Amino acid sequence: MSELGRLALLLGFACSIFAVGSIAWGLRTGYSGPLRSGRRAVWTVCALALLAVILLERALLARDMSYRYVAEHTSKDLPLHYAFSALWAGQEGSLLLWLLILSAYGSAFLFAYRKRLDPFYDAVAMVIATVMIFFTGLLTFVSSPFRILATPPPDGMGLNPLLQDPGMMIHPPILYTGYVGFIVPFGFAMAVLLLNRSGTRWIEEVRRWTLFCWGFLGVGILLGARWAYVELGWGGYWGWDPVENASLMPWLVGTGFLHSVMIEQRRGMLKTWNIALIALTFELSIFGTFLTRSGVLTSVHSFAESNIGPWFLSFILISGTAATALILYRKALLESENRMDAMISREGSFLFNNVLFVALTFATFLGTTFPVVSEAVTGTKISVSAPFFNRVNVPIALALLLLTGAGPVLSWKRATASVLKRNFVLPTFMGILATGIAIPFGAEGVYPLVCIFGAAFVVTTIVMEFARGIQARKSAETSALPAQVVHLVKKNKRRYGGYIVHVGIVLLFVGVLGSSVFQKEAHAPLKTGEALHIGPYTLTLRGVTERQKENAILTTAILGVERGGKFVGTEHASKALYSKSQQPMTEVALHWTPAEDLYMILGGVNEDGSASIQAYINPLVSLVWGGGIVMVLGTLIALSDRMRIRREEQVG
Amino acid sequence: MGNSTRLILMSLVVIAAVGYLILTGVKQTGMQYMTVTELAGLDRAPKAEGFRLDGTVAPGSVEYDQREPKLQFQMTDGKENISVVYEGLMPDAFADGREVVVEGSYRHAERAIYASKLVTKCPSKYEAKGLGKDKS
Repeated sequence: MSELGRLALLLGFACSIFAVGSIAWGLRTGYSGPLRSGRRAVWTVCALALLAVILLERALLARDMSYRYVAEHTSKDLPLHYAFSALWAGQEGSLLLWLLILSAYGSAFLFAYRKRLDPFYDAVAMVIATVMIFFTGLLTFVSSPFRILATPPPDGMGLNPLLQDPGMMIHPPILYTGYVGFIVPFGFAMAVLLLNRSGTRWIEEVRRWTLFCWGFLGVGILLGARWAYVELGWGGYWGWDPVENASLMPWLVGTGFLHSVMIEQRRGMLKTWNIALIALTFELSIFGTFLTRSGVLTSVHSFAESNIGPWFLSFILISGTAATALILYRKALLESENRMDAMISREGSFLFNNVLFVALTFATFLGTTFPVVSEAVTGTKISVSAPFFNRVNVPIALALLLLTGAGPVLSWKRATASVLKRNFVLPTFMGILATGIAIPFGAEGVYPLVCIFGAAFVVTTIVMEFARGIQARKSAETSALPAQVVHLVKKNKRRYGGYIVHVGIVLLFVGVLGSSVFQKEAHAPLKTGEALHIGPYTLTLRGVTERQKENAILTTAILGVERGGKFVGTEHASKALYSKSQQPMTEVALHWTPAEDLYMILGGVNEDGSASIQAYINPLVSLVWGGGIVMVLGTLIALSDRMRIRREEQVG
Repeated sequence: MGNSTRLILMSLVVIAAVGYLILTGVKQTGMQYMTVTELAGLDRAPKAEGFRLDGTVAPGSVEYDQREPKLQFQMTDGKENISVVYEGLMPDAFADGREVVVEGSYRHAERAIYASKLVTKCPSKYEAKGLGKDKS
């Protein structure tokens, strides 16, 4: 079976090369035959990748220890669902998943445009196939998941306990769906340059693809944060760790692109900039995979150092250089059709937004790679961590928050003084009001206050936008307000979907503010019957139990939780000792309320029988996740616009 | 003033502001990234306090008071040792011989790092070693 797997990947490699060659030939000669063969080759790679995944999954689920990959990442006592998700626990399997998603995107792309005979779409497929050459090549020649051991061990080494979590079953595939998806926008951009196409039709198409994978990437990042929160047991969800940053960077640039692309659609400006942003987003996605997998930078998430680092770096260098060269070569195509009329306008605010997003990405990139950069520049290795990112990124992010409110209410071309007055007086007032209300509750410092002001400001502008939209239709409508809101959103899904995403962002900001600035911590060793006080809560240790789980021994502290003297629940903070690795794993107890999380960790049981308990109060942390859900909702609304346009096309 | 001039001006202002943030950020939060041997070899107290060290946990050196909680151990790069004091819970993957990264302030008189952050790399046990050769 392993030979079949290897053969599938080798054939995939060959088919990818064939696809690129055949499409290139077709594009050059204008024959449609080679183009059709090339398309079929892309489909074939997808089928082969799927076959390879099925074969590896079969081995994982059967715990076939003759496979090196299976022996490295599973054990016989591993629950079945984690054996399944062990596919993305290691490097080879992760790369295979990458390839599967990549080729699935290639096929989905070709399926979506199967009726378009324009060779432009073949050119996009060619770019996607080029990347498939890289991944099938890596999986065939450098990092094969189908290596067979000379002497199979009686049992495997087990799955890293950190990965034995439901979150880890969905986080990597979703994150990859985001990461890998940027290949399609990248393919569009490169195809435009290769074929010297003008016009903005592709921009509308690329926007939807970008929105799709941008949404997935965002969800993937938040799921990763959620995993860190419940699994790593340090009380937080974001530590500016290199791997976290790696996933954030393409998301930031992608966000910038989703805004600036509107200017191109509307005004035919910023063409070079937009193409550069797409290319950068894609390169950062590859870079993210590189960071996660290469072990260049120390991270809680980097599980091993490996041999694929140089390959990835070379790939980024070559594809980056090729993209840059193409942009320069087609400079004339990217000539702007319009000029900026005024800085205080929608365009101006979007441009400012873009500069800030790129600056934020740059600062994150620099901070993440600082040891390498500083050594190259000054000869001494300097490292920065969370305090640096908080200092640098927080003010930039706050400026972006304020722009979130200002941008959408500025008019295109030029905003007049009366527009400014009409749109800004009430939000500013509400912002000041919110800040005034927050101060007695203990909010202090410039950044928290700016954040509160910004949140109220943005929400007010969005409510005003909705109100204005409803007002404009009032004459035709007599239905209830919620129905009117739904109707309004339906009428312009892209626009109002976007506003809903903005509401999600505001919630996220407030959640981050609450859980970072107002976090409380307390710890103590507790004997049965003793209590720990934190904020309004009293945690009383009811007892400690020990029991055998499938592949671990679970020690649990049972805590009675009272809030303001009233009993609110019993929580279980545990430590699991995995039998395979003899590694302990903290299992956090979370007492969730909409306003705050009570987060409890069992440090361990002491000689005298007392349990060391550490507790945090994380206010408003549910807004971080809730904001994420609202963002998903907004993204889905904006994406659903696509179907309507499609249908119209088919009718017309 | 033309709009392109304004545009460039605006970009410059943003770049300058971000540059300022980055520079002061590095100055105030940057940590010197050294090997244990380099740090142990210093004969005078270094000017800056912030340090980041990579190394492994010297076997047998771990003292852990779970009640405080306070973790003390010797960090080694195979040649020299440095004491590390960390006030916090022991990370799950922490153990003798594990690769760790510590960040914190160095007190030359005690030859010790007071760590504010302790990251344990996942044990390499989960990867290739120990399974022997591939079937050719």
